[in-house]
Amino acid sequence: MAKYSWPEKPTLLGSAVTRLDGPDKVTGRARYTYDINRPGMIYGRMVRSPFAHARVVSIDLSPAEKAPGVRAVIAWKEPGAQVMYQGDPVAAVAADTEERARDAARLIRVRYEPLPHLASVEQALAADAPAVFPGGNTQTGATDETGDLEAGFAKAAHIVEATYSTHVITHVCLETHGCVCEWDGDKLTAWVSTQGVYPCRIGFADGLKIPQANVRVITQYMGGGFGSKFAPDVQGLICAKLAQQAKAPVKLMLDRKEEHLDTGNRPSAAAHIRAGVTSDGMLTAFDGQSWGTGGAGALSGFPLPYIYNFPIRKRTHKNVFINAGPQRAMRAPGHPQGCFLTEILMDELADRVKMDPVAFRMRNLPPAAPNAMWAEYFTRGAKAFGWDKRHATGDPAPGPIKTGMGVSAHRWGGAGRGSQAHVDIMSDGSVVVKCGTQDIGTGTRTIVAMVAAETLGLPMSAVKPEIGDTMYPFSGGSGGSTTAASVTPAIRVTTVNALDQLFAKVAPTLGAKPEDLVAQGGRIHLKDNASKGVAWKDACRLIGTEPISVDGKWEDGLSGAGTSGVQFAEASVDIETGIVKVTRILAIQDCGLIVDKLTAESQAYGGVIAAINFALFEDRIIDRVTGQMVNPNMEWYLLAGMSDVPTIDIMLNNMPERGVIGIGEPPTVSTASAIANAVRNATGATIRSLPLHPHKVLAAIEQQKAGGTN
Amino acid sequence: MTVSRRDFLKSAGVTSLATAVTAAGAAETEAQTGPRVVGPGDLPVTLMVNGKRVELRIEPRVTLLDAIRNRADLTGNKRVCDRGTCGACTVIVDGRTVYACSTLAIEVQGKQIRTVEGLSTGNALHPVQQAFCDVDALMCGFCTPGFVVATVAVLEKHPNATREQISRGLDGNVCRCGTFVRIMEAAMKAKGVARG
Amino acid sequence: MKAFAYVNPASEREAVAALKIDGIALPIGGGQDLLARMKDYIDTPDRVVNVKGLDATVTSTPDGGLKIGSAVKIVDLAEHALVAKLYPAVVHAAGEVGTPQIRNQATVGGNVNQRPRCWYFRNEEFVCYKKGGSRCFAENGENQYHAIFGNEGPSHIVHPSSLAVPFVAYGARFRVVGPAGEREVPAADYFTMPTLQNVLKENVLEDEEILTHVILPAPGAIKTGHYEVRYKQSHDWPLAFTTVVLTMNGNTISSARVVLGAVAPVPWRSKPAEAALAGKPLNAQTAAMAAEAAVSEAKPMSGNAYKVQIAKTAVKRAIMQAAGIRTA
Repeated sequence: MAKYSWPEKPTLLGSAVTRLDGPDKVTGRARYTYDINRPGMIYGRMVRSPFAHARVVSIDLSPAEKAPGVRAVIAWKEPGAQVMYQGDPVAAVAADTEERARDAARLIRVRYEPLPHLASVEQALAADAPAVFPGGNTQTGATDETGDLEAGFAKAAHIVEATYSTHVITHVCLETHGCVCEWDGDKLTAWVSTQGVYPCRIGFADGLKIPQANVRVITQYMGGGFGSKFAPDVQGLICAKLAQQAKAPVKLMLDRKEEHLDTGNRPSAAAHIRAGVTSDGMLTAFDGQSWGTGGAGALSGFPLPYIYNFPIRKRTHKNVFINAGPQRAMRAPGHPQGCFLTEILMDELADRVKMDPVAFRMRNLPPAAPNAMWAEYFTRGAKAFGWDKRHATGDPAPGPIKTGMGVSAHRWGGAGRGSQAHVDIMSDGSVVVKCGTQDIGTGTRTIVAMVAAETLGLPMSAVKPEIGDTMYPFSGGSGGSTTAASVTPAIRVTTVNALDQLFAKVAPTLGAKPEDLVAQGGRIHLKDNASKGVAWKDACRLIGTEPISVDGKWEDGLSGAGTSGVQFAEASVDIETGIVKVTRILAIQDCGLIVDKLTAESQAYGGVIAAINFALFEDRIIDRVTGQMVNPNMEWYLLAGMSDVPTIDIMLNNMPERGVIGIGEPPTVSTASAIANAVRNATGATIRSLPLHPHKVLAAIEQQKAGGTN
Repeated sequence: MTVSRRDFLKSAGVTSLATAVTAAGAAETEAQTGPRVVGPGDLPVTLMVNGKRVELRIEPRVTLLDAIRNRADLTGNKRVCDRGTCGACTVIVDGRTVYACSTLAIEVQGKQIRTVEGLSTGNALHPVQQAFCDVDALMCGFCTPGFVVATVAVLEKHPNATREQISRGLDGNVCRCGTFVRIMEAAMKAKGVARG
Repeated sequence: MKAFAYVNPASEREAVAALKIDGIALPIGGGQDLLARMKDYIDTPDRVVNVKGLDATVTSTPDGGLKIGSAVKIVDLAEHALVAKLYPAVVHAAGEVGTPQIRNQATVGGNVNQRPRCWYFRNEEFVCYKKGGSRCFAENGENQYHAIFGNEGPSHIVHPSSLAVPFVAYGARFRVVGPAGEREVPAADYFTMPTLQNVLKENVLEDEEILTHVILPAPGAIKTGHYEVRYKQSHDWPLAFTTVVLTMNGNTISSARVVLGAVAPVPWRSKPAEAALAGKPLNAQTAAMAAEAAVSEAKPMSGNAYKVQIAKTAVKRAIMQAAGIRTA
């Protein structure tokens, strides 16, 4: 039996609490790394390879060294080194204004010898592909096999065989990567736009070969990470070195082009799949050969098949390397890809056996569990969405606008552990809660205060959360949807322990034992006699000059792992232009104990909209001849605006008995697949790749007319 | 001064006439050989930001955004794309929203510039800001100042804006965290509340 | 951007004079295109000349037309009641330009004179014909947004101006002022199909000339249609769009001007579509037929055949709009 637990009848937890830092953000008072202006600060600017693949012949820094306002210059690559993608860092400069830093960077003379490059997966897989990567342009993983494939296919009444794929997208964090580095002797303070102050501390220490104890990393506010911001990266180390050389604080923030080229991406995913189904709609076998590119020397794995129960399975995956920026984790890594590659197939199989897609999915689910609630969500969602009005594949309505519905399912982990916290309760009643976690837009700052306030029976305003600094107790990076489940238990444990110490002081004055007391409504009183108690401030006077000062850490029993979800989409397609418009999304998501309802819902909206972009708009496009990105901006790297966002309904399933589980990522997994299935339902033509660009929609419709894509 | 006195007064408008005359300062008459060429080096530039004078010495190439963020420590509005494609730098100049990143600081002298910092008074939030907080129309917050300013401008132009008008009015702003649904809610909520 | 000197001329004469320097001088209107090009080092002028002080009015002409100053802001054009009444396609196009923030600063002259959006042109690494190089990267590259008409080369850009198309369709003339004085150029002749000799520009404007006015003739008894197809609804360049101006005789089209945008290096007048419309009744069948004719001479590139269907739809729906028939 766990020593710590959540309250049975919470006053704050699960309610809609407005974000503590809302006012600071809406007024512009919140200082992000990009906004830090330090006394004497100068500006850094990097030089990067314009070539997809080249050898650095020489680097001449001297024109930059002599340029106006320049205070430091660094070469990052040595002559003879190779650059492996457009954007690969080569040198850097720091000057007293941004304009002068940019001017000086352009004066640095780098001579390159261009080398053969691979601009696409097709080129890397070609028989005559140049050998660009040591060890080969591809790397095949082990085969994953369960059961006898041929026997499985022999049982199938229908087999679908096709190739499915998703594309590379970049994170497009609105605040680009970067930092402000300031030295005080041999001590470094770095304000970094990061999802992990602690991992950054290690990164700076290792990269600069200085003790971790000499490094302080600060992130009070950061403008988006989505998985790409866990380390100082090259720009952080360069920034620190420039600051050392110049003996001045340096701000080095990437520009939008650099951000697209060299801060990570979601790898592409493709698979040639053969799958069988019996005449009564039971999946029999799955054979998938998949591949994908994570760029230069980086991996591209993803789960396949996804969710549904194929009793007999075989799967191999091949990583393909190309001369493009290396991948980094991006919101639910691997899952949106595996989901899409499976979910379109599922609708095709459902059509073969003439079953409704929801019924077909329900027939082939793994057993139900608290973290595997798809059957219930399919049923509930279908009813709420009006699924019974869905027509068979191909909207029979006249006119050029066809409408359709689609569905998809997903899962995620979201477990947590390891966070530490510190609580001080002062004699004047003030409370400070410290934790070295960071708020990446999820509302961590707010839920830290909520858990403390809930435990201590205080209003939110009486608790001061302090986060985002390695001066505070350890917490891991904010990724994998692990933060809420790591941090809230640590806060709970620490504040419960602090409260116990306060109870020990108060109990004698009430003629009671500490275990008889409860903190509620700003008072401490007897559990069974609310009138016998003291106000919080009066209780704290008993603390005296030595504050209650408690360290605590995460413990088991307050958090869980594993979530499931289902999403429905409705889309309309103009078959005379190929333009897809998403009209409605319904997202059903289980999420353990919801801490702040408001911020949890925002996470769900955000994940869905991110996936709408994945389905329709954004696309990292590389010129097939030169290997250079043609759209490293926000003009041609398309992202939805207000007029592109549909009606979105969110149903969060609060499951307090499971403890806190993170849901930053799961809501982004299914949406693109549901939309693609809706487009298929609308047009009657199957599009097996993302994004659903008009050229694909029109081509699929044409092909369908000529003899079918199904 | 960067502009001839005649053009400066033409663009300044009556309310900022006094400022214009003061800022024009000494010896600003049209040269006999044509209009004065300023730059490429630093020159004095005066901006009226949120009702206050901001005196700078900057090159003609410095954008309004970089001038206020890097030189005047007004970091509320953000630099995200720097190409007029995302709206994070949206400020209001003489009553109209503009991308500050796509505006030269020297060209908006004599104009009334309102940034996100100018919307609240002390701790009192503008009704649009309050609405954003109330319905959680923000997450990481980096796009938020631009959206707040754009929303204020939409509602000042159309106090009873329809959803369609709000959508079109905010189509110049992008959010990566996905706060659009609640931004629309916030805009609808702030409608009709007293103008800030 | 490269550092530059700045001039604020007080007259057309001063503006023209200011453009003459030993080096590169460029005019700046709303700056919504020029500043981005400068930040990407596509243009590196030594001097920038403010032309927002030129005529920013819309005035009636004696013949019943309108004279629009090049310094008129797009937002003011889009909200102009008289322009809406006489040339609805101009107002429609103006309202779809960019975003509110862009429309609040961008000018008519700047919109007409803006440079291509082609991503090879806009990225410094690609030294294409338009930057003094000797190839067009779209030919063997990513050409999904490039031309489907007028593809003889050397350049395969699509002209980016939304206003140019209705201006051509309504028969506008452009007033240009330069060192040699002033001239008027029919809009249809202002934009140039690329040749190896002229590929560095998209129009006939010489280095020291400025566009001062767009002069629209009296519209007469016409019906207008304008239809734009965009992928993203919020902020995006159109994939194809059309203005049709139909001179009517009862319900019969006596003559037509059909101009397509985002499909060719210039606003693309479709003679086949115009021929298909002449003498026909204004109805849905005619619209469909004219749309087929409009794309009959399309020569798409390896990655943009889909634009042919979209251009066809734009023409059809613009004509239907002129006919008052509801379209998608």
